[in-house]
Formats: sequence, C-alpha cells, structure tokens
Amino acid sequence: MAEPAQLPGSALTVPQEFQYSSLFHQGEAAIAGIWLFMAQECLFFGALFLTWIYCRYWNIAGFDAGSAETQVWIGSINTGILLTSSFAYASALLFIRAGGERGMTILLGVAAFLGIAFLCLKGYEWHLDFDDHTWVLDPDFKVKGALQGGAKLFWSFYWFGTVLHAAHLTVGIGLVAYVIERARRGHFSAAYHTPVEVIGIYWSFVDIVWIILWPFIYLIGRAP
Amino acid sequence: MSSTVIDRREIAESYLGEKFTLRSWLLTTDHKRIAVLFLITITGFFFVGGIAAAFMRWNLLVPEGMLRSDETYNRLFTMHGVIMVWFFLVPSIPVTLGNFCIPLMIGARDLAFPKINLMSWYLFVTGGIIELYAMFVGGVDVGWTFYPTLSTNYSNGFILLSVLGVFMSGFSSIATGLNFIVTIHTLRAPGMTWTRLPVFIWSHYSVSVLYVLATPVLAMTLALLFFERLFGVGPFDPQLGGDLILFQHLFWFYSHPAVYIMILPGFGVISEIIPCFSHKRLFGYEFVVWASIAIAVISFFVWGHHMFVSGQSLYASVVFSLMSYAVAVPSAIKVFNWVGTMHKGFIRFDAPMLYAIGFIGLFTSGGLTGLWLACLAADVHLSQTYFVVAHFHYVMVGGMVSAFFGGLHFWWPKITGRLYPEMWGRAAALIIFIGFNMTFAPQYILGYTGMPRRYASYPPKFQVLNVMSSAGASVLALGYLLPLFYLPWSLFRGPRATANPWDATGLEWQTSSPPPTTNFYATPVVTWEPYDYKPPERLEQRDYHG
Amino acid sequence: MIGRIIGLGFAWVVLMALAGGEFLISGLRMPLPNRPLILLPAGVMVLIVVFVFMRLGRAPLIARGFAVAAIFWLILLLGLGSMDALTRNLWLVQGYNPH
Repeated sequence: MAEPAQLPGSALTVPQEFQYSSLFHQGEAAIAGIWLFMAQECLFFGALFLTWIYCRYWNIAGFDAGSAETQVWIGSINTGILLTSSFAYASALLFIRAGGERGMTILLGVAAFLGIAFLCLKGYEWHLDFDDHTWVLDPDFKVKGALQGGAKLFWSFYWFGTVLHAAHLTVGIGLVAYVIERARRGHFSAAYHTPVEVIGIYWSFVDIVWIILWPFIYLIGRAP
Repeated sequence: MSSTVIDRREIAESYLGEKFTLRSWLLTTDHKRIAVLFLITITGFFFVGGIAAAFMRWNLLVPEGMLRSDETYNRLFTMHGVIMVWFFLVPSIPVTLGNFCIPLMIGARDLAFPKINLMSWYLFVTGGIIELYAMFVGGVDVGWTFYPTLSTNYSNGFILLSVLGVFMSGFSSIATGLNFIVTIHTLRAPGMTWTRLPVFIWSHYSVSVLYVLATPVLAMTLALLFFERLFGVGPFDPQLGGDLILFQHLFWFYSHPAVYIMILPGFGVISEIIPCFSHKRLFGYEFVVWASIAIAVISFFVWGHHMFVSGQSLYASVVFSLMSYAVAVPSAIKVFNWVGTMHKGFIRFDAPMLYAIGFIGLFTSGGLTGLWLACLAADVHLSQTYFVVAHFHYVMVGGMVSAFFGGLHFWWPKITGRLYPEMWGRAAALIIFIGFNMTFAPQYILGYTGMPRRYASYPPKFQVLNVMSSAGASVLALGYLLPLFYLPWSLFRGPRATANPWDATGLEWQTSSPPPTTNFYATPVVTWEPYDYKPPERLEQRDYHG
Repeated sequence: MIGRIIGLGFAWVVLMALAGGEFLISGLRMPLPNRPLILLPAGVMVLIVVFVFMRLGRAPLIARGFAVAAIFWLILLLGLGSMDALTRNLWLVQGYNPH
C-alpha cells in the first residue's frame, strides 16, 4: 500500500501510507499513537503500583524488612545509568532535527550501550539476590520469623517488577538497534525522522518506570 | 472513474474482488478485509460459547442435574463465560462493524495503523486458540472472573493457559482501541467536524478509551495471577499476607468498564438504525454524544458495586453505590432519545429496525434491574443469584447481541454487496426476541426467590421456571441459527445491493457496495449535518430495494 | 543547537541531583507510614523527563490530552482502589486461626 513520497530537499524516498495527506500528517498520527500507548502503559504499571500499596499497607514491617535486603547501590547506580541514557537519546533527537545524522547515530549507540549496561548490572544483581536467599521459593529464605510473610511479598513484587521492567528495556534496546540500522542506511534526515521520535518516547517511558520502581523497591524500605 | 457510475465492473474491483487468494486475505492490511476476518472468527466463538450454554440449560432441566458430574457443569459455565465475554462480546461490534465502518463513515481510506490492525487479529486468533485448547484438554472450573484463591490454590483446571489466552485477546483490544482513537482524531475527511460525526463514531471513540485505559489493568491483574499460581507467592492470598479483595478491585476496574465496552458499540449501532428507519433526524444529537462520553468516564467510578458482599470497606460501598446510580442517567438519556426519534417518524419495520426496537425494550429491562443491584441493601439479597444472571443477559445478550445482529443486517449490503432475504431476517429478529424473553424472564423470578447462580442442581420447587427457561433457550438457539444459514446463502443468491439500499445519510452509503479498496474514488467533502433525513413527500414513493 | 544541548545537560544535572537527594533522604530515620513521601522527588523527576526529554509541551494537542487522561485514570485507580484498604473495618472472627 505504500507509495513513495519525495522529501523536500532530499533525494530519498520514504514510505507514506496512502491514507495520509502528507508525511507530516502521518508523523503526527504516529506521535499521537505512541503517546496513547504510553497512557496504556501507565495504567498497566498502575495496577502493579496499587498491588504495592496494598501489600505494604497490610504488612508494613515485613515488607520493609524484605526491602532492607536489596542491593541498594546497584539499583541506584542503575538509576543514574538510565537517566543518562535518556539524556543521550534526547540529545540524539536534537542532532537529527538539525540534520546531524552522524551525531544522532553515535548518541543512539551511547543510549543503547547504557541500556545494555543497565541489563548487565541488573543480571549481576539478580545473581547476588539468588545467592542471598531472596528468591521467593528459596527454602532457606533470608528473612525469617514473623516478618517472613511480608518480606516474601516484597520479594514477589521485586522479582515481578524488575523482570517486567527488564523486558520493556530489552524491547527498547531492540527498537533502538532498529533505528540505528535504518539510520546507517541513510533513512533519516531533518525532514523525516518520525521513527526516531516515536521510539524516543518509549525509551524515556521505560526510564520513568524505573524512576518510580527505584524508590518503591530500594529506598522506601531502606529504614536505617 | 466517476463515483456516480456504479456497475458490475466496479464490484469486481471492490475490496472483495481485487485479489481472492488465501494469502491476500491473511496478509491484508485493508480494514474491510480484517473486519471480515474478525466476523468469521467471532462467529465461530459465538457458537462455541452458545453450545456450552445449551449444555448448561440441558443440565438444569431436572433438579438433580442431567450431567453426570457437577465439575463438568462448572467447566461449562466457565467456558461459556470466558468465550462469550472475551472472545465474542468485548470484540464483537468494534472489530467487525466498527473496523469496517469507521474509516468509511469519516471519509478515510483506512485506519491510522493498518498493520497494527492486522496484528490485532493475529493476537486475537492466537489467544483464542490457546483458550480453546485450554477448554478442550480439560477446561477451567473457576468461572470467568478467575477469583483467587480458588483459581490460585485450589482449582485443578488449566488456569495458566486460560489466563494467557485472555491476556493476549486483551492486547488485541488495546491495539484496536488505539487505532480507532488515532484514526478518529487524525483521518476525518474535510468538513467532517466533531459535531458532524455520526453517533456510531462517538460510541466507538468512547469504547476505545475504555479499551485502551481499562484493559491494561486486566492484563497486569492476570499477569500477577499467573505469577501467583505458578510460584505460590501471595499478593492475593490472605494467608501469605496479601489481599483477596485487591484482585477483585483490579479485576472490576477493568470488568465494569468492560460491560460498557460491550454495550456502547450497541448504542452506536442503534443510533444509526433508528433515525434511518424512522426517516427522521436523531432526536437530541448532542445529548446522545455527551451521554457516550459521560459513560466512558463515569463507568470507571462504579466498579465496587460488584463487591458489596465481598467485605470491602462500607464507606467505599456507599460511594460506589451512589456513582452506580449516576451512571444510569446517560443510558436513560439515550433510551429517551431513541424513542423520541421514533415519535412521529416514518417507521419501516425492516429486520434491522426490529432488532433495534427489541434492543430498546430488552436493554431498558436489563438497565432498570441494574438499579436494584446498585442499591446496597437490595444487592445483599440479590447478589450471587439468577437475578444477576438475568440482569446482565438482558443487557449483554438482549441488548448487545440484538444490536450486533441489527447492525450486521443493516450493513450487510455494504459489506457483501448483496441483500439478505428480508422475510427471513424479520422472522429471525422476532424469534430471537421471543426466545430471549422466554429464556431469561423466568430467571429474574428464580433469582428473586432465591436460586443461586453457578450451581449444577437446585431444589425441586424451582423446576417449572427452569424448564421454561430451557425451553426458551431452544427457541433462542433457533433464532441464532437462522442467520447462520440465510446470510451465507445471500452471498450467492441474494439480489445485488445498490450503493444506498436504505436511503440512509451516512458517508459510508455514498460509496459503492461493496466499497473499493481505497473506500472512495475521490476524497469526500462533507457539507451536511449528521442524520440529515427529510420527511418524505409521499410514503409510497420510497422503494428501498429498487 | 549548542544552547539546546546545554539545556538538556542542565536537566540531566538536575535529575541526577534529585536522584542523589532522594537517595540521601531515604537514609534518614522517619516513621514507616511516612516513608512513601520519598516518592516526591521521584514525581518531580518524572515531570522533568516528560517535559524536557519527551517534549510533551511540544507534542500534538491530542498527545497532551492522552497524557492528561493517563494521569486522571491513574489517580482514579490508585485513589478509589486504595480507599477501600484505608477505610476497611476488620472483624476478628472468634476462634479463627489461619495457621
């Protein structure tokens, strides 16, 4: 269904779907669509956050006792890594809007690399957690006694939430790799770079989820 | 090519005739073909769910139950509920008639994201196959609500697979809703302002909001349930420190708006049919539109009325009860407006109109009994009885399925280019209306006098009403089977339809029947208000089938 | 161009400072029920990411509408949802022992 459309000031042809009047029109629809998808994601994670509220409300001491066993340093370094990668992606967008394809590709590479670094640290953290007897099915679960129930609930939330976030991040890294590949083939310019914008919104959203998960998991239960 | 000259050649060039290979259908991104794919799929699910219901009514013919095991009965009503809710009612009108008509009605050439539309169908089919597999290899015995801790700790059914199937169909709904919202915002034809949109579009806009913002909560809830059953952890298990009622909150945060997902598209269809067959402008267009929007918002405030007897906070119950009364207002506005449209109209009783009139009566009955259930004190007596069953079947089956059949008959000439046999259509509409009331009216009385739902057996004093209900169900089944025969028959033997066989005003009737792949030969420019029906000068001159 | 990158960089510095501040506050002693207040800096961080990195302010009008809708429905879910837990009456059943 795609008809090639000539870009202003460029020899490239990019696909414009036949139901749109212009590439600009198509781009606006794509941006609107990704924002609506993000609204959907908000409610998706919202249900998880309500679960957190209930579980902590009924088991406040046990929940925080579980949280005190997390690797708070790794989690916090990861927060810095994701914030930086979001910054790198936003800068990449500044470059492509001014026509700097090369600058964009490098910065996208930085963003994806930071995403991979996050996952590696996360994997290492999971490894430490396993060794620390905090996997919920561990027969020798670390927190014992009256607080064990709440602590296990916390660790259920931890495993569920971090794996879900890591899955979102993995999808995001795949999408950034796809954009880099297309950029390498010269598909993007100042006049047309809608996929870069759209995936950027997703990339920053994954960052936002972590900004909320970080205090939920590591900070609120970190009672000294 | 001029759009005024419509001949046989154009039918061959329509979306149906362009290329007729299996591959071209399975990989199509044309919204019209995807609508047809969905229509075939959900028809299949409708009959699977219907067969389960038939077995249930058969079992309830005698007090001790005809089935050998009560477990089987549990599996049957779960199958009926899960299939009918998530694989028929939730997608029904939006993915078929909505998918087909929305771009045509707003003058667009396709939806905003055609590939996502196709992906939605594949997600739906995959989810459906997983669900059917789960149902046939052993079934699920917990009811369509999947309440823990029955579903997490005690059930020996195929919960994990079943939850996965529902989860996937949920993402199909999200994809469809997202597509509709962006399409309605960005792809309206020149002159198609917001106040010129047909109510069908407004209804689908509201439904899409519910799809996109309610379904993810269900997805997360089911994911947590999956996790809990798989690993034995306990966000929903009170013995492990979790909260049972939390599951119900999350579930009904989706599932109450979901009943509006199921009924709002029906409102849209009825709002198209009634002005057309009354040949009169829709009474109070703005009110009907704002009622749709109001429902989309208020329906999120009322979920707790499913939980009055669950042990939730009394204060929460009071708030939810009051809000539930409020949500009845927009629905009542719509009923008043439809009846107001028919008042002093030039009414023709074609099959779609018969379905629409049936809809108004059945929906009103179902809606008013909903007020009894919204009342805190009355609900304690009525919840978990057949009264609830009758109430929501009046809305969901009497209302929504009637609207679906009405819409299907109404747009059948547009979708297929053929007219259905009118006499058969009217007969089916009447049989469905009569059979429906025979089936479900006794259930109001059964429930009010205390028969609980979801039991395979009952005290002998309830037998007469149960037999009446089962007898009615067989009449209803006949009514549903008829279209399964005469509609496909009309594909081959039905008379060819003109572009506008009903003399309707919507933009979808301006293009040929069936429409070409690009929907319109030239981008339409809209200069008229919606439902621009003028009183006919002489009734005799109106010959719709000409 | 350079000015805009400096602007983004400034936002990044503020984000890191907020994250650091949040981390330090979490080390303080405070009553357990008040500890969710640690989320406040996180809320500011979310706003900065949304408006500076995702440029919500310059997105199409409907995109801003979707963002508002998301927040509205999120408040509905969390607010009405937690209302039950916060106001629920717990009745002790005589002789009930879960273990």
